[in-house]
Amino acid sequence: MSVLVWLGSAPPERSIRWLDGALAAAATLARPGAKEPRVHALAAGAPTWLDLAADRATRAGVGSVGVTTDLALDYLGWGQVVAAVARMLDATTVLVDEASRPARVPEVAAIAEHLDYAQVTQVVALARDGQDVHASRAAARTTQRVRLRGPAVIGVRIAGPAIEDYPTPTPSTAMRRLALEELGVEPSVLARRALPPRANREPRRTVAEVAEHLAVHVVPRPGGGA
Amino acid sequence: MGAVLVHIDLDGDRPHSASVSALAAGRAVASSWGATLYAAIVTHDPEKRGTVATDVVTTLARAGADKIVVAMSDVPIAPLWGAVGTAWRGVLDHLRPRLVLFGADAPSAPELGPRTGARLAARLLLRARAVGHDEVELRDPDGGCVRIGDSGAAVALIGGRHVAPRGDDDVDVVVLETPSGESAVELVDSPAMDVVPTGGAIVALGDDVAGDPTVLREAARLASVLGATLVGGPAVASAGAVALGRVVERRAPLAPELCVLVGNASLDLAGTSSVVRLGTTGGEGVDGALRGDIGGNLARLARTLEEP
Repeated sequence: MSVLVWLGSAPPERSIRWLDGALAAAATLARPGAKEPRVHALAAGAPTWLDLAADRATRAGVGSVGVTTDLALDYLGWGQVVAAVARMLDATTVLVDEASRPARVPEVAAIAEHLDYAQVTQVVALARDGQDVHASRAAARTTQRVRLRGPAVIGVRIAGPAIEDYPTPTPSTAMRRLALEELGVEPSVLARRALPPRANREPRRTVAEVAEHLAVHVVPRPGGGA
Repeated sequence: MGAVLVHIDLDGDRPHSASVSALAAGRAVASSWGATLYAAIVTHDPEKRGTVATDVVTTLARAGADKIVVAMSDVPIAPLWGAVGTAWRGVLDHLRPRLVLFGADAPSAPELGPRTGARLAARLLLRARAVGHDEVELRDPDGGCVRIGDSGAAVALIGGRHVAPRGDDDVDVVVLETPSGESAVELVDSPAMDVVPTGGAIVALGDDVAGDPTVLREAARLASVLGATLVGGPAVASAGAVALGRVVERRAPLAPELCVLVGNASLDLAGTSSVVRLGTTGGEGVDGALRGDIGGNLARLARTLEEP
């Protein structure tokens, strides 16, 4: 089993504890006694983010790969990049840190579709059982326990320890840095998946604005949607 | 104009309310765009009988469906791509829809929605509403939008409440026999869980509001509208405002999709997608902040969101 952990294209929005949790979960899936690192963390984006990702991966005892790019892509674009790295590393299990940034949630599906792997999202616990993986998935007010056989992309929401502060990472030589071209991905073609500009995120300050923001979270009433 | 397709989850023997709401949004879009509205159900039907309960058909017809597609699967139904993905792909390949909708709070949406988008190479809106009258479009809170003139396919998870004018009971039912598939994902069991720390919505009460019955009542009302879990610290629990098992410590790892913080509630929000604060100023990463009268603002929010 070779495991790749996709940490994303930007640092976590609020703290790194879910990133650490994803790395720790991946480390538990590693092949015991393997000489070479069979778990790799993958990050893409700006150099400072890659330094942070490399630092956290090293602390978790896993290898790391970084793709330096200034592209801001949609879920399909990042899915293509991660799939290319997974093929290069022969990764049969890809974990995705779903919790650190909401935009990463659909990347699970994009990676799985590119690789034609099975997928499971919203996983809160993982355990290895021979060549199978047991996963517990949060689904509404139940926990679904599933058994995965064969290659899979797994979106994880597993927290590491609470962290108030952490050392500023320094540029790491442990991370293997790749250019998109080395992955067989043409940047000019990939740029077609660039994200359109989104609205700014200034906080809503009136009841009407906040209600408008919350309206998409209102639960439909049983018996007709109204 | 191409097809608008709505995935329907079943809740027991009835369409799930979030799916019906998505169907209502689809009705508004399809009518505006001049498209045919399909409602599709994947059913476990190993004997290939191709039947679906009359009540389900009637509900979907009255909610606005032009046609109902029943995809028969020999795999037991579970809200997992690994379980229903093969059958659902059959529906997508058959209809080649321009727009696919899911109820954002329907059980299958997190698994099927993004994967459908990836399969269709579609733009994806994760929580959207149908807005407008003559020219209906879909919009999400981050500014994402799907309009009639857009090229390419789109997939949207529909949030909130949508209500369609009541349609008649006349509807075509199309039965699709989908290929058999051996799933790489086996559902072992689904035990109940008391608190949902890694999804959904939470309303968190600060200890400073534990003695204010108006705030506690209106916070519970807002939580009900949002389908949110009401949580709080030890002082709030002592006041009886949150149930046992809903007491959360400041460092508890939570990753809800939405967190509404009331008063001085302090939580580790590292995994939270959207944060709204009441009674304190905003801050970095806050989507909304209302200062001033907490109870009054909670009541106004709940009243606004309860309106049809």
